[in-house]
Amino acid sequence: MARRLELTIGMVQEAGLAPERVGRARGLLRALSWFAARQPLGAIGGVIVLALIATAILAPQLAPHGAKDAQFTQYLPPSAEFPMGTDHIGRDILSRVIWGARLSLYVGLVSVAFGVTLGALWGIITAYFGGWADGASQRAVDALMALPPIVLALSLMAALGQSVNNVIMALAILLTPTAARTMRSVALSIKESPYVEAARAAGCSHWRVVFRHVLPNSVATYIVLFTVNIAYAIVVEAALSFLGLGAPPDEPSWGGMLTAGTQAIETAPWMIFFPGLAISLTVFGLNLLGDSIRDLTDPRLRGGLG
Amino acid sequence: MRKSLPLALIFALVGFGLSAAGAAAQEKPRYGGILNWYDYADPGRLDIHSESPLGVQQAVAGVYSGLLHYDPDDPTKIVGDLAERWSASPDGKTYTFHLRKGVKWHDGQPFSAADAKATFDRVLNPNFKSPRCGSMLKPMVASVEMVDPHTVQFQLKFPAAPFVSAVASAWCRVVAKHVLEKYGDLTKPEAQIGTGPFKFKRYERDSVIEWEKNKDYFIPGLPYLDGVKQFILKGAPTQLAAAKAGRIHVWDTWPPMKKTQADELKSARGGEVEVYQASINTIFLIYMHTQKPPFNNPDMRRAVNLAIDRQELVAKTLEGAGVPCALLDPKLVGDFALPLAEVNKLPGCRQPKDQDIAEAKRLVEKHYPNGIDVEAAVRSVGGYIDRAQLVLSQLRKIGIRGTLKTYESAAGFAVYGKGDFTFITTQDRAMVTADPGDVFALIYTTDAGSNWGKWSDAKVDELADRGLREANRTKRAQIYHELQRHIMTSAPSAVPVGWVEGWFFQDKRVRNYKASPTIYDHSTFMKVWLTQ
Repeated sequence: MARRLELTIGMVQEAGLAPERVGRARGLLRALSWFAARQPLGAIGGVIVLALIATAILAPQLAPHGAKDAQFTQYLPPSAEFPMGTDHIGRDILSRVIWGARLSLYVGLVSVAFGVTLGALWGIITAYFGGWADGASQRAVDALMALPPIVLALSLMAALGQSVNNVIMALAILLTPTAARTMRSVALSIKESPYVEAARAAGCSHWRVVFRHVLPNSVATYIVLFTVNIAYAIVVEAALSFLGLGAPPDEPSWGGMLTAGTQAIETAPWMIFFPGLAISLTVFGLNLLGDSIRDLTDPRLRGGLG
Repeated sequence: MRKSLPLALIFALVGFGLSAAGAAAQEKPRYGGILNWYDYADPGRLDIHSESPLGVQQAVAGVYSGLLHYDPDDPTKIVGDLAERWSASPDGKTYTFHLRKGVKWHDGQPFSAADAKATFDRVLNPNFKSPRCGSMLKPMVASVEMVDPHTVQFQLKFPAAPFVSAVASAWCRVVAKHVLEKYGDLTKPEAQIGTGPFKFKRYERDSVIEWEKNKDYFIPGLPYLDGVKQFILKGAPTQLAAAKAGRIHVWDTWPPMKKTQADELKSARGGEVEVYQASINTIFLIYMHTQKPPFNNPDMRRAVNLAIDRQELVAKTLEGAGVPCALLDPKLVGDFALPLAEVNKLPGCRQPKDQDIAEAKRLVEKHYPNGIDVEAAVRSVGGYIDRAQLVLSQLRKIGIRGTLKTYESAAGFAVYGKGDFTFITTQDRAMVTADPGDVFALIYTTDAGSNWGKWSDAKVDELADRGLREANRTKRAQIYHELQRHIMTSAPSAVPVGWVEGWFFQDKRVRNYKASPTIYDHSTFMKVWLTQ
């Protein structure tokens, strides 16, 4: 985590978008306290996200029982023994919510890493080279974006079959066109900037210009896309599982837990309350963090706040 | 005036109580109205002779008539439907059915014994897959002959006890010869031409099935209803919501309500509905494919048989409404069933489970020291998803790690029928009749229609056959006892988890609707009417 954050700060610096004060920040702690002072809401989001990551990593240690072990009495209300109660077949809901963090984060991170990265490369490269390939690829993006996302995701899941990795694949396909469109617009403006012209005049090859100049300068947008879309991916995964086409039913997916909970919404409301809360908190945290990163990297907003 | 009000109220209440008790006898049936109920899955293909899901039978139930059927006024009795009367020869091997005259198909063509012969020739054809009617009749019937245009005769291979109840089954309804010739099968909505009280009107995939009144029905004055509408409602929350909102008049299909659902309905609708608990003549099974690893190994099947906690499954997924472990339900077939006291001492059924689980674990470890991953199929209808998760949780204790593979209803049956699975986490099989031989003929013999795991055991086949032939009731019970003991102590493909019971309701506006011992046989609605 630490390495990734440093890398991020490094990239932001290189992109020339971060204020000078970041450059002076020596330790991670100082960078974080600067961030917290500058973006208190973002810091809250960050804490929630860190908690989520910690829960996901430490799930085997944190969860009192197995996520799939159904050996308890069903529909037990929250108590000291089962802080979130038990579900309709006698599983500990706390353990499922904890393991669900791992599943959600895994699905969110991997699908976004694939989808957004692929889309970003696609957008940047086609924008840089332009011409008919750009036009054609944009029409492909149009076609994909014309379908309502949930319908596209549902049909992909119906075709691929239910499994966690297929959910990731469907989400990646869903995320790619938007990322491609956004990154293309960023790359188009960078392409026309003086330093790219200078690089070309100096005789750099196209690929060198793309990877040394255009790509690094669009990283800020990429980071924002990345954080915001993790939240999106988690919600879509929950929605797919809720509709019974996401992760297999026994996987501790928060969305799947909601579905099971609807059966007993009046008799055992805790079955939907806790996974629902987990989804809301996670998405809230990720959105706060994503928004503040966007604010930091947006020159207009930065000017206003600085 | 004021004084007489309470008295009038009492009279009114008493009157209401009486009329409710003897509603059918005292009230004059009212014509008209559309009865609404629901189908739990999209039936897809509508051929009752070649399909096995209840959803299919239900979709066309009012469209056809049988030679015999369960009496709509008293479903415990079998009476003639298309057959005016029937007789058996003294040796019990020849049955003659005398058919009604002047009956017309919904397309106006006259009905005759040739149609009956064509129907039964079709289901008895060895090359025709008929998992319900065919599975029941093939072992018993040698041939069907048309004696004259209004008489049809069955030659049996032996005096088979369950023959009459099989012919009365809703799966053995009579279809038109000319329709079979025209369409080849009965899969499509336009092929639904019957002689029943209702005509097939409309089928919209995944949405609704509609019947309309057959004005030329062969019983004058029937049916009372203008039509019947079945909404295709998937999933308990949707079904219950429809019931609570008063959008459906009866809940008499699979799956029944659970207790919590029934309580919810009672609190929502109060006195407007009558809620009752009943057995549905349906057994809850877990299947293993006996020709595919790992379950081609009898030790592995034995391990599953030992590890499955039937009592927990019935308690949790059926909310206690069921008879765990039983291969035959004493409530349904009386002393043909092995006494529950004996059943509950058998390996796999006895409680506590510690000893059986330890033994099961040892068996799995012997062949797969690191445990084994298995793909576990489940149809995503009814409460199957919940049951499946509990089954997998139980098997994880002995080192069998299942990954769920879900199927849409009809797709699941197609996969099971082809034997394209390793493990089926849960599947209910409803009996065609209330005869004790059904469960063996449908599930356990080599040629059984739902022997999806392809288990073949010579002793099972031999005993099941003897059971069908035995005329003496005591001897027949002995044969079935031996058969139950044998299946429960060997390594069958299908593990009997228990017999399913549940809660149902009917709206108090619905009159003359009688539930029968099997949920498959009371859905023609020929005498049902609505008070408003």
